[in-house]
Amino acid sequence: MKPAALGPDKKLRARSANPWYKEMWKHRMTYTLLIPGLVWLVLFAYLPMGGLSLAFKHYKANEGIWGSPWVGFENFKYVFRDPTFAQAVWRTLYINIIKLVITFPFPILLALLLNELRMRKTKKLFQTVFTFPQFLSWIIVSGIVINVLSYDGLLNSALQLMGLPTINFLGSENMFLPMLILTDIWKSTGWGAIIFLAAISGIDQDQYESAQIDGASRMQQIFKITLPNILPTVTVMFILNVGGLMSAGFDQIFNLANAATQNVSQVLDVYIYRITFQSSTDFSFSTAVSLFRSLVNMILLLAADRVAKLMGGDGLFR
Amino acid sequence: MSTATAKRHKYRIGKMTFLDYALLVVLIILSLMILIPFINVIAISFASQKEYADNPMMLFPKHPTLDAYKALFNDGRILTGFWNTIKILVVGLPLSLFLTSTMAYGLSRDKFPGKKLIFFLVLFTMIFNGGIVPLYLVMKSLHLTGTLWSVILVGSFSAFNMILMMNYFQGLPESLMESARLDGAGEWKILFSIVLPLAAPIMATITLFYGVAFWNGWYDAMIFLRKAEMLPLQNVLRTIIVESSTNVSNASSVDALNKSGFSTGMKMASVFVSMVPIMCFFPMLQKHFAKGVLTGAIKT
Repeated sequence: MKPAALGPDKKLRARSANPWYKEMWKHRMTYTLLIPGLVWLVLFAYLPMGGLSLAFKHYKANEGIWGSPWVGFENFKYVFRDPTFAQAVWRTLYINIIKLVITFPFPILLALLLNELRMRKTKKLFQTVFTFPQFLSWIIVSGIVINVLSYDGLLNSALQLMGLPTINFLGSENMFLPMLILTDIWKSTGWGAIIFLAAISGIDQDQYESAQIDGASRMQQIFKITLPNILPTVTVMFILNVGGLMSAGFDQIFNLANAATQNVSQVLDVYIYRITFQSSTDFSFSTAVSLFRSLVNMILLLAADRVAKLMGGDGLFR
Repeated sequence: MSTATAKRHKYRIGKMTFLDYALLVVLIILSLMILIPFINVIAISFASQKEYADNPMMLFPKHPTLDAYKALFNDGRILTGFWNTIKILVVGLPLSLFLTSTMAYGLSRDKFPGKKLIFFLVLFTMIFNGGIVPLYLVMKSLHLTGTLWSVILVGSFSAFNMILMMNYFQGLPESLMESARLDGAGEWKILFSIVLPLAAPIMATITLFYGVAFWNGWYDAMIFLRKAEMLPLQNVLRTIIVESSTNVSNASSVDALNKSGFSTGMKMASVFVSMVPIMCFFPMLQKHFAKGVLTGAIKT
C-alpha cells in the first residue's frame, strides 16, 4: 500500500476503496462485452477440457462424458502397456527432434543471405517468392510435392535425364524422414527468415560503420556483429520450437504419408486420430492418450518458456 | 577520416563486387527451387494427358488446353468445396471478428474485478487444450457434428489473435473513450463507433489471419463432417490428391489415376484453383502477417 498521493493516484485510491460488488456493478457494461467470448471459451475450450475427465472413466455411449462411471487410472494402464502408443511417442520425438536440428539453421542462413543483398527491390521480390509457400495448406503443398517427387515426377525425370539413379521419395520408409525435412525446408524457410531479418534490421548501424573503419571484411562483420546480435532471437525461436516437439508436423505428416510409409508415419497425433476415428472406438482410451499428449505439451511449453526467460529472452508469456 | 567516409559511402551505394554477384546467383537459384515446382504444376494443369506422359518435366505446355479444368468442373466436387468454404468464410469471419474484438476491447479496459482471471482463462487455452477426442464428444452432444456450424464455431476464436488485438486497443488514446463516456455512450457504443473505426489496421490483420485459417482448415471438417457434399475445399482437394494417390510410389501413375478417375492434369488444376485466392491476397498477407507475427513473438 502506497501512502496517499495527490493527483491521478487519488482517483485510483478512491476507486480501489470501493467494495468489489460496487466495482463490478460499475463495470457491468464491460462484463457484457466479455460474455460472447466467455461463452465460446466455455463451450469449445473448457467443456472439452472437462471432458478429459473421461480419461478416468469408462465411456458408455448412452451415459455420455459426464454420466459414465469412474474407473481411476485403469485406462492409463492399458495406454502405457500398448506398444503402439510407446512407438508413437518415440516416433514423434524422433521425427521432430531430427527435423528441428536439421531445418533450424536454414532460415538464419537465408536471412543472412538476403540481408547481404544490396539491391532493395530485388530483395523484396526474393522475400515474396520465399514466403509464399508458407501460406498454402499442407494439402496444397502435398499436391505439389507428390507431383514433383513421385516416381515419374519432375525430380526423378531430371535425375534420369542426367543418368542418375531415381529415388523413391514417397513410397519408402527410409526416405520418409528426409522427404519431410526437404519439404519442410521448401515450405517454411522463407517465412522463418522474415523473423530473423527483422531482428537483423534492428541492429545498430554504427557497429557496422566502425567495423568498416577498422577494416573488417563482410564475413567478419557477419560473424562478429550480425550473428551475436541476433542470438537472443535465435535462442527464443529454438526454444519455441522445442515447446512444440510433441505436436509439431501433424499436418505435414498426415498429408504426405501413404500406405507404404504407414509404419514410420505414426506419430502421436496420427495415432490418436486412428484409434479414435478409424478403428473400433474406445473413447476412454483415446481420451487418456489425449490427456497424456496435452500434459506433455504443456510441460514442454512451460519448460521452454522458463528456459527462454532464464537465457534473457522474452519468453512466450510475459 | 576521408577513407572512412569513402568506405561508408561504398557500403551504402557501392559498386557490385564479385561477392555480390555470387550472392545474387545463389538467391536466384534458391528462388528457382521454389518457383519451378509451381510452374510445373501450372504447366501440367494446362497440358493434355499425352503431353504430360511424354514430358513430365515441362515448364510450359506446347499445346495449352483447358481440358483438365473442364473435366474438373464437370466433376463438380471442387465447386461444392469452394461453395462450402465460402459459406464458412461468410459466416465465420464476421463471427470471429465479433467474438475477438468484444473480448479484446473488454480486456483492454481499466482494472475491474476478475480481469486477470478472465485473461488467464484465455491464455491458458494457448498452453493446454482438451485435444480432439473430448472436443468431438462435446460437439456431438451439442448436435453440431455433421453441420458446417461445427467448423465455423471451432475456428471463430483464437487466443493469439485476441491478444494481438487487445495490445492494439491498449495503445489507443484513452481520452477519446473517456470523452465519449462523459457524453453518456456505453461501452458497446464506444467499441463500435469509436474504437473499431480507429482500429482498421489491426482489423485487417486479424481478418486475414482468420481468413487464411478458415481457407486452409481441413482437420475440423474431417472430424466433424461426414457427408461428402458438406466438405470444404481443402478436404475435397485432399480426396482428389492425397487419398487417390496413396500408391503413386510403386504403381505406374497412369494406372493409379485411371482407378481414381482424376488425371494428373485434373489434380494439378485443382491445386492451382485452390491456390489462386491466396495468390491474389498474398501482397496483403505478407505485409500483415509479418507485422502480426513480430508483435506477437516479441511483444505479447
